[in-house]
Amino acid sequence: MMKDTNCLKYLFGSSVMVIGALGAGQTLADGEITFVSQGGAYQDAQTVAILDPVAEALGITIRQESAPDAWPMIRTQGTTGQAVWDVVDTPPFNCIKGGEQDLIEPLDFSRIPNAEGMPEEYKTPYSVAYEFYSSVLAYNPEAFDGNPPQSWADFWNVEDFPGNRSLRNYPVGTLEAALLADGVAPDDIYPIDVDRAYEKLEEIKPYITTWWTSGGQSAQLLNDEEVDMLMMWNGRVSSIMNEGANADFTYNQGFLQSTHLCIIKDAPNLDTAVEFVNAAIAPEYQANLPLHIDYGPGNPAAFDRGTISEERAGELPSSPENAAKQVLISYEWWTSDDGVEAERRWLEFMQR
Amino acid sequence: MKATAINSNFPLVSHRDASLGYRRREHALMLLLMSPAVLVVFVLLLIPLGWLIGQSFYADGFTLEHYQRIFTEGIYWNTFWVTFRISFIVTLLALLMGYPIAYAASILPRRWSVLVLALVILPFWTSVLVRAYAWLILLQRSGVVNESLMGVGLIDAPLALVHNELGTIIATVHILLPFMVLPLYATMQKIPHDLIQAGASLGGTPLHVFMRVFFPLSLSGVLAGMTLVFVLCLGFYITPELVGGGRTVMASMLVSRNIQLYSDWGAASAVSVVLLLCVLAIFYVVSRLVPLEKILGAK
Amino acid sequence: MNKLSLSRITFMGYVALVLAFLILPLLIVVPMSFSDSRFLSFPPSNYSFRWYDSLFNNPGWMSAAKTSLIVAFSTALIATPIGVAAAYAINNSSHWLMRYLKIVLLLPLIVPIIIVATGVFFIYALSGVLYTIPGLVMADVMLALPYVITAVTAGLHGFDQTQEMVARSLGMNRFRAFMSVTLPQIMPSVVTGAIFAFIQALDETMVALFISGGQNQPLTVRMFTALRDEIDPTIAAISTLLTAASFALVLLLVLARRQSPT
Repeated sequence: MMKDTNCLKYLFGSSVMVIGALGAGQTLADGEITFVSQGGAYQDAQTVAILDPVAEALGITIRQESAPDAWPMIRTQGTTGQAVWDVVDTPPFNCIKGGEQDLIEPLDFSRIPNAEGMPEEYKTPYSVAYEFYSSVLAYNPEAFDGNPPQSWADFWNVEDFPGNRSLRNYPVGTLEAALLADGVAPDDIYPIDVDRAYEKLEEIKPYITTWWTSGGQSAQLLNDEEVDMLMMWNGRVSSIMNEGANADFTYNQGFLQSTHLCIIKDAPNLDTAVEFVNAAIAPEYQANLPLHIDYGPGNPAAFDRGTISEERAGELPSSPENAAKQVLISYEWWTSDDGVEAERRWLEFMQR
Repeated sequence: MKATAINSNFPLVSHRDASLGYRRREHALMLLLMSPAVLVVFVLLLIPLGWLIGQSFYADGFTLEHYQRIFTEGIYWNTFWVTFRISFIVTLLALLMGYPIAYAASILPRRWSVLVLALVILPFWTSVLVRAYAWLILLQRSGVVNESLMGVGLIDAPLALVHNELGTIIATVHILLPFMVLPLYATMQKIPHDLIQAGASLGGTPLHVFMRVFFPLSLSGVLAGMTLVFVLCLGFYITPELVGGGRTVMASMLVSRNIQLYSDWGAASAVSVVLLLCVLAIFYVVSRLVPLEKILGAK
Repeated sequence: MNKLSLSRITFMGYVALVLAFLILPLLIVVPMSFSDSRFLSFPPSNYSFRWYDSLFNNPGWMSAAKTSLIVAFSTALIATPIGVAAAYAINNSSHWLMRYLKIVLLLPLIVPIIIVATGVFFIYALSGVLYTIPGLVMADVMLALPYVITAVTAGLHGFDQTQEMVARSLGMNRFRAFMSVTLPQIMPSVVTGAIFAFIQALDETMVALFISGGQNQPLTVRMFTALRDEIDPTIAAISTLLTAASFALVLLLVLARRQSPT
């Protein structure tokens, strides 16, 4: 009999313990935020360059998560009203789309003085530019013997450039590449001729070994020589080049893009989140980013700090020389009805 | 059944227990004991299921448009076709690989059969995620499999083994094989050994005895294993998502995408209902032949 | 039968091949975890503890591990008594409702997991327990119940019910009689059920993908996103540890069986 009561006591005791633990884990204390970015080399770089110094300066703890496609989670958290993220680093059209659907907080720019000097086109009512990157044509130089592909037309040219290919499992940037390959002039891409783009994509589809879903995966594909050419983010290519991989890329016909910072509607730590956004775009931290990865700062004032050498600035995707070879992705078009419809069509295309 | 035998024991406790009132209280108590478990399943599964079924007929009022879409739009058709095709191939492969294993385990001396079963069960206890990762390593272009095949000169260029349907099938067979072996073994173990020996002593060749005596007796296990594997495969998500290379879209991925990307509950619930109906129909038909508990026992 | 014929050798060779197919993928993860490269190349060119370092020094992985353990313990703690009660009822009642209730309790195993996940997601979104640990625990309890019930029912089948009757006729109330007479004897199957519940909760991925988020992400969800997004050998390190842990649990199960009187 003794044994049984002991057993009960134990059960009871441990349930109390567990329930206590459950309670403790529930909410973040003041001065903490959950920050979501895209993982991999990029997240590592900004941790050193921006997140750690900002956390120290503000005296807050930054919990990091990664989500290469943040939209599903933004959508669920907003629609269910159960926010667990605070700040998201994501392409601006997610912020705009989210803001329009009441999933993203409008930004009170009076509390973000660091955004004041930034060009208007770097801001939206819901977000502010954080960094610039580029989706470029990367390849394994060994596979092409001194004559690597230099344009999307080459990428589509399976006769002269045989090899495994990969594209991102995502329409933004991919449809633009298809149009360039089909001979559309860079200036005439928008509004996108969606039918034409998908038709051109059908052509290359049989030669695509893998449709990658995240930056890390694309880096792995090229590093392990799983594919010979692919579209990927420039910072990821240079990071594996630094690790000694057989890889190279061209800015020619790259797609210049930015990610913005935005705040989830009713974020659990709204106040701290706004403070964080302001600090994260401060020129002194922004200037650190290019030292760790080949991405340009979202705040152009970073270039005046003297941290980024001229030579370094020239290597960044947003440098005037590199930008001239590239196409600027139009988030305006992608948030338009046609853009949304083109995005929906993607899954159907993947299926066929 | 068992329970009636126990009831007849109740007079042991006291004489008035046999009365109707006691039986009623007994029933009430048992239902009460059952209620927490039933409540959990009711709230977390049955209510949402009811709601899903409702959603599948709803878009500003009653509608069949979600179902219509499944039957008219290529993407839905295609997904179901791919799902069934993969499930079918996986089931067949699992049977071809699993039957000999179960047979070996049932005829080998005990020491060896324990080893065989342990080797079957170990992967069972390893996370599906771990195994997806392992297959990515093994099957990639410069992976172990391709390198060894090229090493022995069987192929000249690496084969595309992963990031496609083939990779999905290989990894899925790996995950579902134990679900085939365990019910098979359970059945084979019960086949009396003397029956086989009798067959052999009557002059049948081993193959003949196997085909005429052993195999027919193992059929209920075959059915149980095949059902389990097929049905589990129909609902697979994690493996095709991780090793399918973005091209292998199975029914459950369609459900998930409709919800997470588009918040399209109508389409998602219609796909869910069709999937559920397929599963229930298969279980219903098979349960006429083999008891449900026997099929689910291995799970 | 015992003659070593050619066909017999071929057959055993085939069996060995299939077994290799089952086991090799589990083993390959171990050397990968000691690789010093970021990528999937096998065999690794150099060995290091780099990925174990990165695992134990990463607050994200550590908090996910904590979440997983809390969830798994709580699930076992809740699902076991509920499951034992249900199994006891199933074993002792001949009520006509029982047959249907039994099927209801098997449903979590029958319904495709994606549908379970969608349903739980929906009901949690309505009730505000999305992304919470109690939410995760309750979902895992539901999924674990069939395992606990199956294990305990098997134990009760082997138990002679008259013993409990005798205890009751000696004046013990039913609960006391169960706790002091029945439970100790079916303990091995209860432990088995609890371990099943624990492992099921530890291993559950699909439902958690839908209903967990933020800081309350279990290990499996983090692994899934890592596999999808950042394939680096941290995954191999964690896989090696997890595999070792589940082997240890299997061993525990075997020991629990050994100690059972039957």
